[in-house]
Amino acid sequence: MKVTVNRTTVELFEGARSQHAVLRYLVHRRLGAALLRRGRIFDAQGHEIGLDAPLREGQIIKFKIPK
Amino acid sequence: MRKLLLTLAAICLFGIAASAERKEVHILSVNDMHAKIENMPQLAAIADSLRGLYPDLLIVSAGDNRTGEPLNDLYETPAYPMVVLMNMIGFHATTMGNHEFDAGGKGLGDLMRMSGFSYICANLEPAPAFGVAPRPTQVFDVNGVSVGIVGAVEINERGTPDTHPDNCVGLSFTPVLETVQKYRGLRDECDVVILLSHIGYDADVEISRELPWVDLIIGGHSHTAIDGGEMHNGVMITQVTNRLENATHTTVTVENGKVVGRKAEVINVAGYPKKNKVVEEVVRYFSDNPAFQRVLATLTAPMTSYEELGCMMTDAWRVETGSDVAFTNTGGVRYDTLPAGPFTVSDVLRLDPFNNDTVQLELTGQELKNMLIATHDADIEYGFPKVSGIKCEVIFDKKNPKKIKDLKITMEDGSKFDLKKTYKVATNSYSASIADSPRKDPGRSLNRTTASVIQAYLEHQGKIDYTGACRVFESVSKR
Repeated sequence: MKVTVNRTTVELFEGARSQHAVLRYLVHRRLGAALLRRGRIFDAQGHEIGLDAPLREGQIIKFKIPK
Repeated sequence: MRKLLLTLAAICLFGIAASAERKEVHILSVNDMHAKIENMPQLAAIADSLRGLYPDLLIVSAGDNRTGEPLNDLYETPAYPMVVLMNMIGFHATTMGNHEFDAGGKGLGDLMRMSGFSYICANLEPAPAFGVAPRPTQVFDVNGVSVGIVGAVEINERGTPDTHPDNCVGLSFTPVLETVQKYRGLRDECDVVILLSHIGYDADVEISRELPWVDLIIGGHSHTAIDGGEMHNGVMITQVTNRLENATHTTVTVENGKVVGRKAEVINVAGYPKKNKVVEEVVRYFSDNPAFQRVLATLTAPMTSYEELGCMMTDAWRVETGSDVAFTNTGGVRYDTLPAGPFTVSDVLRLDPFNNDTVQLELTGQELKNMLIATHDADIEYGFPKVSGIKCEVIFDKKNPKKIKDLKITMEDGSKFDLKKTYKVATNSYSASIADSPRKDPGRSLNRTTASVIQAYLEHQGKIDYTGACRVFESVSKR
């Protein structure tokens, strides 16, 4: 399943949730998995979806760390 | 003069009659509670307050009431605490979420029999063998207004909700839109029509185009935080994020049998200042769950290292999933000693507390080798992963002692590890996420937590002894 996080496409196992996409994104961008707990996850329309939201093929999500 | 008075009286009477036709329906809705039982006293207090104002308050859930909290999921009858608490709060109805099926048809049927609220789900066929008898629709009389609810659960490409396929054996589902459309007659029967949906926000928006006869979609599944209601194609859609952080209070105004107003507001549940004391006591009772002290196996010798406990954990995942190899990031092993004696449910939950899913992949030897190194690199403060089915000789770079210079793998029985052969590999969802290495098969969740797999292993083993177990051997390169 391919999902896009902040314009970076990551490939994940079937059944992955929003936190898994962000973890892969953070590691891929060499930002460190620990950042996951500091940020918030949103869908493409800007709704917050939390860490455990189910994902579907092609979904676009955004990960933001509050300033 | 007399004529004028009569006219005024007629206008007043007409006005009274007209205002008598304007009524409000109040709905308190939640979705994806995922057994967050510690927030149920606050939800109960919110329901109490709203009921004080609106005695006919309708309380509904858009599914996924269970799964996500061991206090609930590991109860002797799994998910029984949530059903009791929903009964106490006075829920009228829920639809099915994909996680309502996590205990299979029989588990669901058992819970349905204990529930004081309806399960409304049009696209789940009744399964009398399990006692699974959902209603496709239900009409409620709310403050003299007829409110019709039709329910639906998401269906994946296998034709079942997202749970382990074994959980859906004996159950059958029909396509969402096609099935919901069969009940469009509710529009003629009722003043207000609601779709109680567990299909996700995007699908709710899409389906709203085809459902002009629906007034309100109370959604779930995607954990989408909608700030109040959103109008899409003339249908209001509501949903909140998961684990009972919030709930939605929706007001539907009906005049002369027609919906003339819809508004929704989000209520913060987690931060609500009041708690229902009786519900709080019941939550406390469930929190002292004796099921956590249940003995799964006997440890005949003490566990004395992360390595020994990691060997046990990964053996559990390998054996119980029928895999050739299993591994975990070392940070996933949360303690390093356990005295000989009973190995309880509580011990497992302390050892593996993250609610990770079990993930299975089919990897070539080379892909597995790359994945182990990638897991180490992403979890570098904890060291090389713990493994089962193989032995690893890890050689770190002398100049950079955290960097792996070489990794030699043999099968656990000493036979050759083949870089070209395909192996079935089990791991946790965290490792499968952080391991950013190339592989053809991204894997799949088995829809079982890794902790529940460990429990099953311990129960099957009865007695265990991991004295001296060691499968990872580390050294530093000479150059």
